[in-house]
Amino acid sequence: MGGDLHLVLNNTLAAIEDGRRELLKFFEQHALPVLAVNRLEVIFEEIVSNAIRHGFTPRSDQSMHVRARAKPGAFEFTFEDDGDPFDPRDAVESPAFTTLEAARIGGLGLPLVARLSSGLSYEREDPRNIRRAVTDFQPVNRTIITVSTT
Amino acid sequence: MELQVSEADGITKVALSGRMDTIGTSQIETRFTALIVPGGKPTIIDLSEVSFLASLGVRMLISTARALSRKGSRMALFGATEPVMEIIDTTSLDQIIPVAPSEPQAIALVQG
Repeated sequence: MGGDLHLVLNNTLAAIEDGRRELLKFFEQHALPVLAVNRLEVIFEEIVSNAIRHGFTPRSDQSMHVRARAKPGAFEFTFEDDGDPFDPRDAVESPAFTTLEAARIGGLGLPLVARLSSGLSYEREDPRNIRRAVTDFQPVNRTIITVSTT
Repeated sequence: MELQVSEADGITKVALSGRMDTIGTSQIETRFTALIVPGGKPTIIDLSEVSFLASLGVRMLISTARALSRKGSRMALFGATEPVMEIIDTTSLDQIIPVAPSEPQAIALVQG
C-alpha cells in the first residue's frame, strides 16, 4: 500500500494548503473512496488549523510534523507539534444544535474530527503534543472491464 | 473562494464556489455577511460548486443565518455535493438551517 507520508508544516495558514496538496498525492496511491478522502482532508484541516491558530505563538518558528499511514481498512494520522499543550479529546463534546439562536458557533472543528474518526488519542511528551486520529475506510471496488474486439 | 450574488422576486441568491476551509472562508466571510445581512431578505445559498466544507465554513453559515433570522428572514442551502452533504449531516447543520436538493425547493423553504 505504499510507504508512509511525513510532512513538516510551518506556522502559517498557507502551510495547510501546501500539506493538503502533498496529502492528495499520497492518497492517489491508495484506492480511497471520495468520501474517505474528504474525511481525511477535514481531519487534517481541523487539527492543523486549530494548532496554528490556537496552539502556536504568532510568527514563531514552531512547526508541526504530520505522518499519514495506510493500514488495512484504515488510515492513521499522527500530528506532532511544539505548541501549547492541548488534548483535543477535551473539546470533542459539543451540544447538539437545537435552534439557530442557541447554536454554538465556535469550537466546532474538534467535535467534527471526533465524529469522523474511529479513534482519537493524545499524548504530551514535553515540549511536544502528539495527536493520533484513525479513520476507517473501504477501498473502492475497482471493476476490470475486458473489451473484446473482432 | 468566490461568491456571486443575485436577487430575484425578493430573494437573495448567493452562489459560492471553491473550498470552504480556513483560508477560503476567511477570504469571503466579511463580504458574505455584508451582502446578505443588511438587506435582511430571504436568502438561498448555492453550494453546488463548493468542493469542501470545514468547521469555519459551518460557523460562517450559522452566524449569517442567525443574523438574518433576527431580521425575520430565513436562509436555506441547496445543491450540496456528497462530501459537503456528509459534513452538513455530521455537524447536524441541517437541524438549524434548512437544506434542499434543488433551487426551487430552497426558494420554497425561505418563502412565507
